[in-house]
Amino acid sequence: MPFPLFSQIDPRTMPSHRRPRLLAPLLLIPLLSSCFASGGGGDSGDDGGKGGDGSRLRVALAFPPAENLSPYGADATLLSRLGVTEGLTSLDANGSAAPALAESWRRDGDKAWEFTLRDAVFQDGTAVTPAAVAASLGKATGADPAPAALEGVTLTARGSGDRVVRITTDEPDPVLPLRLSSPSLAVLSKDAYAKGGRVDPLGHATGPFELTEANGATSASLDRFDDYWGGRAQASGIDARFIADGTARANALRTGELDIAEAVPVAQAASLDKETRRDTATTRTTSLLLNASSGTFQDAGLRAAARAGLDTSVFAKDVYEGYGDPGAGVYGPAVTWAEGKRTKPVGRADAGKPDGETVHLATYDNRPELPEVAQVVKQQLEKAGFKVKLTVREYSRLEGDALDGKFDAFVLARNTLLDTGDPVAVLASDYTCDGGYNIAQLCDEGVDRAVADAEKTADTAKRQDAALAAEARILGSDAVLPLVHQRIITGVADSVQGVILDPYERTLVGTGTRR
Amino acid sequence: MRQRLAALVWRVVLAGGLVCGIGLLPWLTHTDPAYTVLKARSAERAPTPEVLAGIRRQLGLDGGPLHVLGDWLGGLVRGDAGESWISGGDVLPGVLQALGASLLLMGVALLVAAVTAGLVCARTLRLGARRRLGGRRAGGTASAVLASLPEFLVASVLATVVGVQLGWLPALGWYGFQWTVLPALALGLPAGAVLGRLLDDLLPGAFGEPWALAAAARGLTGRSIARQAVRRCVPALLPNLGLFVVGLTGGAVAVEQVFDIPGLGRTTLQAALAQDLPVLQAGTLALVLLAVLATAATRLAARLLTGPALRDGALSSLHRPAPPARALPPLLYAAVLGAVVALGLTRDPLALDTGQKLRAPTLAHPFGTDALGRDLLARVGHGALDTLLMAAAISAAALLAGVLLGLVPRVSGPLVDTVNAVPPVLVALLVTAVVGGGAATPALAVGAVAWAPLATHTAALLRQERATLHITATRGLGAGRRYLLRRELLPAVLPPALRHALLRLPGVALALASLGFLGLGAQPPSPEWGLLLAENQPYAERAPWAVLAPAAVLALLGALAVTAAGALRPPRPTRTRVGVGRPADGQAEPAGAHKEPAAVR
Repeated sequence: MPFPLFSQIDPRTMPSHRRPRLLAPLLLIPLLSSCFASGGGGDSGDDGGKGGDGSRLRVALAFPPAENLSPYGADATLLSRLGVTEGLTSLDANGSAAPALAESWRRDGDKAWEFTLRDAVFQDGTAVTPAAVAASLGKATGADPAPAALEGVTLTARGSGDRVVRITTDEPDPVLPLRLSSPSLAVLSKDAYAKGGRVDPLGHATGPFELTEANGATSASLDRFDDYWGGRAQASGIDARFIADGTARANALRTGELDIAEAVPVAQAASLDKETRRDTATTRTTSLLLNASSGTFQDAGLRAAARAGLDTSVFAKDVYEGYGDPGAGVYGPAVTWAEGKRTKPVGRADAGKPDGETVHLATYDNRPELPEVAQVVKQQLEKAGFKVKLTVREYSRLEGDALDGKFDAFVLARNTLLDTGDPVAVLASDYTCDGGYNIAQLCDEGVDRAVADAEKTADTAKRQDAALAAEARILGSDAVLPLVHQRIITGVADSVQGVILDPYERTLVGTGTRR
Repeated sequence: MRQRLAALVWRVVLAGGLVCGIGLLPWLTHTDPAYTVLKARSAERAPTPEVLAGIRRQLGLDGGPLHVLGDWLGGLVRGDAGESWISGGDVLPGVLQALGASLLLMGVALLVAAVTAGLVCARTLRLGARRRLGGRRAGGTASAVLASLPEFLVASVLATVVGVQLGWLPALGWYGFQWTVLPALALGLPAGAVLGRLLDDLLPGAFGEPWALAAAARGLTGRSIARQAVRRCVPALLPNLGLFVVGLTGGAVAVEQVFDIPGLGRTTLQAALAQDLPVLQAGTLALVLLAVLATAATRLAARLLTGPALRDGALSSLHRPAPPARALPPLLYAAVLGAVVALGLTRDPLALDTGQKLRAPTLAHPFGTDALGRDLLARVGHGALDTLLMAAAISAAALLAGVLLGLVPRVSGPLVDTVNAVPPVLVALLVTAVVGGGAATPALAVGAVAWAPLATHTAALLRQERATLHITATRGLGAGRRYLLRRELLPAVLPPALRHALLRLPGVALALASLGFLGLGAQPPSPEWGLLLAENQPYAERAPWAVLAPAAVLALLGALAVTAAGALRPPRPTRTRVGVGRPADGQAEPAGAHKEPAAVR
């Protein structure tokens, strides 16, 4: 009988052979340090040493940069939230255009606007001149694909005099100042466009904070820009981290690793102290869209029956745990002018009698509350007499089918103030025959006409009236049933002051933010 | 030499097929990459034809799939893995960085797993070293429970309790060594429990071998006997360890998410969803290469540990002598599980009452309620049937496929490596591409991966079994290949493979639920167990019972599976077998071993 395992080994010599082998991996430790993420972390406590005034803010953002911080896509919002970039205009609390890099503006005929620049410098030290602004806007119009704010618009910008930028459009554009407030139309200096095609905002923007380092989708460092036209920021810089998981953001805030955590999920809000969670109404409305051109809800009577069967009060109160307002219309309370001007829905059909018709309901799980909303909707519709089948997928696996009208009903959280800042834009894209995002498949002559009327109106107040008249028609069709207007929860550590809670989610940190 | 060459060619063919499969994925699934890339860049952007055309121009998609693939392969030859379709940045540095983080995490997790496995086997080792193993059955309940705990649950609990509430270790980030501890625990504990159970399964056999008896008789310490027993058994587990190395590197998505680690799992997941093909191809290729390295390393280690015995067919059989089965624990677990399910079935799992949200357990709701005020007992009970049937069916199929393919290791080895290296989401997408999005797709997607560890285990056991003396002897007596396979090899290999399959059954249930976001598998409001866990995870801190209930039944299922498998162990008929040690009598001193009847002829 052989003892192959046993005979080769002298037990007494074993340990001395083994130990060095076990220790060898320890020699690798210095090499391993490159496997860790750079920047951020618990080390950035008080960084008061720099200049002796103001400490750095530690901020967690929910969405990592998708396109290397290119200003033409979704990353633009990220740059503007951190106070890096600015456009010619910005949005004020009422949703109208407010001065930013442009001090004032005036319309010159149907197709031209003139913006007078303020005295400002880029973070690389060059002056913000009409030529630089015109060049920057020119690059944005030439981007492929074009920024969302410029969709369907052709504009030319040109310097005129030493303070004025003249912008002309091919078609009359009454909302141009609103449009220019879009983060994707931020003004960058000439050097930002040096490398072929790529736009590099590092040190080339005009905001109160200058981006000094970007570590891909992990973190970014920003320093205060001392020559900002609006005065020096109180915080000496920002350490931004991109943490996609909502629970992780809340946890980091609770351990004191962060000063500000963006978009804390409703489920985690209760784990934060009452003073730490700040909520603000947003322009995001969660609605139930009913497919008006095919399937069960083609019948306006059944759509009305679905509306009658829904009890929208539970969504804000229970599913959103109070971090929401009951659905009132397409626009929520964050659109401040809407409430006072809203009129009754026009042309509602009488509720029919559902008799076990099947409804294919769909929603997505990228926002964790939506599957819960959809399950409540499912139960309420079933009580009303429908048979409901629910589908939940990741958004990008769902949207195509939704736009093709493959579902009867869809729970959607929609930002009602799109990149253009124009309240009419969402109506045109979501509820007209030619709309690019018409999940409700609504194609109604009355609605189309009302929306077209609103689009043509230039005067702000009248445009708002026209938008609400169109909203009344859209609600009258029962193709959209507003469920809840979301409030966004921002986690803010006790010591931090001056965080900007922006209903349009375009700003977060400003000159007055400090800890 | 020729065999090696064939294996190499087979490997290259598989890797090439995989890369080409990924390259053709959008065209196979009819999902426009311009569209998914747009959504990854900016979810709110309306996909108008102009925007999509712009992206297509930017990515150079107009030339069709072959053109795109050819360009990428051409670049790869020059060491350029292309540019990410989403960000436009270079792929290679990003993937390498993510790989570095993942490898480090995996390394620490393996350390944790090794310690865990050691603890799981501690009892067997201690008893074995004292030669008191005979007649005692390993418990296995604790380790089975640990093995069935979902990683994401362990991760959330560790982050919240240790990281936030106690503040002992950082709760998230990836900046230094103290940041590696909690994620490594979350990954290593379940993995260690699986490996520990497999090892624990083999150890009694090793202790029962004649050399152990002789060593004890010669007066060697129990410690060194135990060490040699471990050394004897580890080679059979090494291939599975290799799978864990690759699986933990590329598949730690949930843990990376909870602890915010910039690892390869998240990178490939995002790339798979957005169809960012260059990143996906580079990431998968890196994992496949890692798998090749891991396999080579485990093979080398097995050779070093087993030595020439393997080549010379001089091993003795590692059959664990069958001690009397204890039927009590499995009966108990089955009774509890049955009672929970029966009670739950009498209630309504879908009745919502949002006013009763997240209520703690009371008489009216013995398991509490979930975020929508549904009764958790009802949901657990009603979910049992779906979960169990589906998971059991997949496990059975995986076992069959695993054992069959494990019999032909030369074909299946590289296949296992490749399949195991592919991120699970990608497997699901590829399966969907081939068979479409039918009802059986999720089962196929999970089954496509689930067989791999079983095949590896079978192959490793078979390799050892073929090298045993009794096989040589049986062959010498004129037995044909079929006889050998049917009467000697399969009976030796099947029981451990079956126990392994049962150990992984809860994992299969979880894997099924994790495909839900692709629109595959159970959809809300179905009370399927994996789904229950996933939908209640965000509330784990506020309403621990909401995750505890499904986790507990899953753990109970794991314990039931493992203990029942032990009880199912067929009593071995007395058969001519060379080199099989009889169980050492429990009370017998080593010196008394000579009293044993001569089973060793």
